[in-house]
Amino acid sequence: NTLSSSSSSLKKKKKNSELFTLTYGALVRHLLLDLESPEEVNKQLDKMGHNIGIRLVDDFLAKTNTRRCRNFSEATKTIAETGFKMFLGVTARVSPVDDKECKIVFNENPLTDFVELPEKLQQLRYCNLLCGVIRGALEQISMKVEVDIARDPLKGDDKFELHMKLVEYVNEEYPFKDD
Amino acid sequence: GRQPRRSVAMFACVAIVGPQNNPLFIQTYRSDNVVTGMQEDPIKFHYILHCSLDAFEEKASTKKSVGAKGISQGASSGDCYLGLLYPTEDYKVYGYLTSTQVKLILVTSTFNAKETTVRQVFEKLHKAYIDAISNPFYTHGTKIESLGFSKIVDQIVSATS
Repeated sequence: NTLSSSSSSLKKKKKNSELFTLTYGALVRHLLLDLESPEEVNKQLDKMGHNIGIRLVDDFLAKTNTRRCRNFSEATKTIAETGFKMFLGVTARVSPVDDKECKIVFNENPLTDFVELPEKLQQLRYCNLLCGVIRGALEQISMKVEVDIARDPLKGDDKFELHMKLVEYVNEEYPFKDD
Repeated sequence: GRQPRRSVAMFACVAIVGPQNNPLFIQTYRSDNVVTGMQEDPIKFHYILHCSLDAFEEKASTKKSVGAKGISQGASSGDCYLGLLYPTEDYKVYGYLTSTQVKLILVTSTFNAKETTVRQVFEKLHKAYIDAISNPFYTHGTKIESLGFSKIVDQIVSATS
């Protein structure tokens, strides 16, 4: 049974992400049972993501030896091209709108493998954790951003698209306001 | 059950039944009665499926006693595929039992059904079933209502025509 090394490593990658996918699914499911309202779940996913993001950024910067991103454009490019690849195994592309706004587009997403959103949960932003992660990570490098899911294959779109807007550069010395 | 689909495939019915003989998925395809030439009543297939459940127990235990490898070998098609469960007047019923005691059943309307084709269809169905139950919004043990899954089943079945 001879597989080429590339296809067998692809299979391995898919196998490794299954536990990740199922864990995330169980998390979302659990939140829905607890909170009932999809809007509340969206908020909670964002919060959890934020919590992850503020820690993940240090790990990321250390692993990739990235020089500190000086502005929004550099940061979003790094997130899309390096961050997504590293943590999700996904190839993402960034399309800047201007120096304060951009879109991140990607076709696959291990978080949503096997997921089919039921009719009554159309309000749910299933991948909202991802938005929170990005928001939290950028906060740690002095950028306050808004991240939204603009296009979602779970809702019939052809690809994933995150819409990011820079709200402001924040001076590190001052404490962040609570949301 | 849902309306029988139009298909010139060799399969008249695809069913998935859980360990407690609870129906998880049933789809019938257009199949004309050999004698009357009229569209077969889906109820007939439900009856056939019901009768096949006993045959599962028999076949599964026979396989074990004939020196079949134990569960530790994993769910390779060789262990899961039970072959022909029983023939009716107009149809043949094939069975496939997963390690988690989920039963996949195929009812064929042609008598030229090749064993290799049947096996392949079972394997594809098994894979599709695994993906369907990995959906976090699917509750284990309940009917599979995923549109994606029924589309895939239709594709698998029509690919055999």
